Amino acid sequence: MKSWLALLTAFSVVNGSAAFAQATGPTDPQIAHIVVTANQVDIDAGKLAETKGSTQAVKDFGKQMVTDHTGVNQQAVALATRLKVTPEDNPTSQSLKAGGVDNVKKLEGLSGAAFDKAYVDHEVAYHVQVLDAIDKALVPNAKNADLKALIVKVRPAFVGHLEHAKMLQANLARAG
Amino acid sequence: MRFGSVAGVRKPAGVMSASAIAGSRFLRLAAVAALLALPIGASVLAAGAPATHTVTIDGTRYEPATLTVNRGDTVVWINKDPFPHTVTAAPIFDSGSIAAGARWSYTARKAGDFAYICTLHPNMAGRLVVR
Repeated sequence: MKSWLALLTAFSVVNGSAAFAQATGPTDPQIAHIVVTANQVDIDAGKLAETKGSTQAVKDFGKQMVTDHTGVNQQAVALATRLKVTPEDNPTSQSLKAGGVDNVKKLEGLSGAAFDKAYVDHEVAYHVQVLDAIDKALVPNAKNADLKALIVKVRPAFVGHLEHAKMLQANLARAG
Repeated sequence: MRFGSVAGVRKPAGVMSASAIAGSRFLRLAAVAALLALPIGASVLAAGAPATHTVTIDGTRYEPATLTVNRGDTVVWINKDPFPHTVTAAPIFDSGSIAAGARWSYTARKAGDFAYICTLHPNMAGRLVVR
């Protein structure tokens, strides 16, 4: 009996520390903010590609990113409103936003094939980064079941974007 | 008596042109074919009218991913995602962009086993088997 008690105590201590570690991750209001920011960053880059892309494939992909990420954001905002969650700014959002601003600045100075390559390369890297954040920070830390479900549900679309961007990258490399 | 009235407007044989003769022969053949087709049509109806099937597109997935239908059946893809998808098995069928909340239907006229994808999200895969 004594050893069981000791085991139970040890278990609850481990459990307690795990709960504490989770509590240091992003909160639901921060997760909602990260989702909206991540989408907005890709919308901004996509708008640029729609007009500055030098091939139809790059223009079409840019347009698709604007459409898809706008759709996801409308759903995320509607959910946050329904759940009465006010998105809260945080270091992850700020870093995503700063990266997006840098990328747009860099892309604005490019044209033709150089623009296409820089945009598509960044889209590949960006979707890898966002999928990593979804898997390691957003899904494990989301407390609200609906918020978590939304992230899990849109994840395959981001995988699709990554595969699509990789196809474009391969095509551009072949053409260049 | 549709065929009777067609026969009634026939000109006397003596003034018939070659094409008119061919035409009347065609009409008679058509009449015979139509009569023969009647019982066949009835048996098709007895086997079941063409069905309509639904594939839901949700969470960037086709559900069900594999669907088997009979020739003549209609398949409706309903896009429940907040962004567009396509149902593409070129050159057999290609929906083009199906907007968020929209649907696209295809009547399966050609038998076969067709793998299809979404051209916007290449990780999506579906299969339509037409018997």
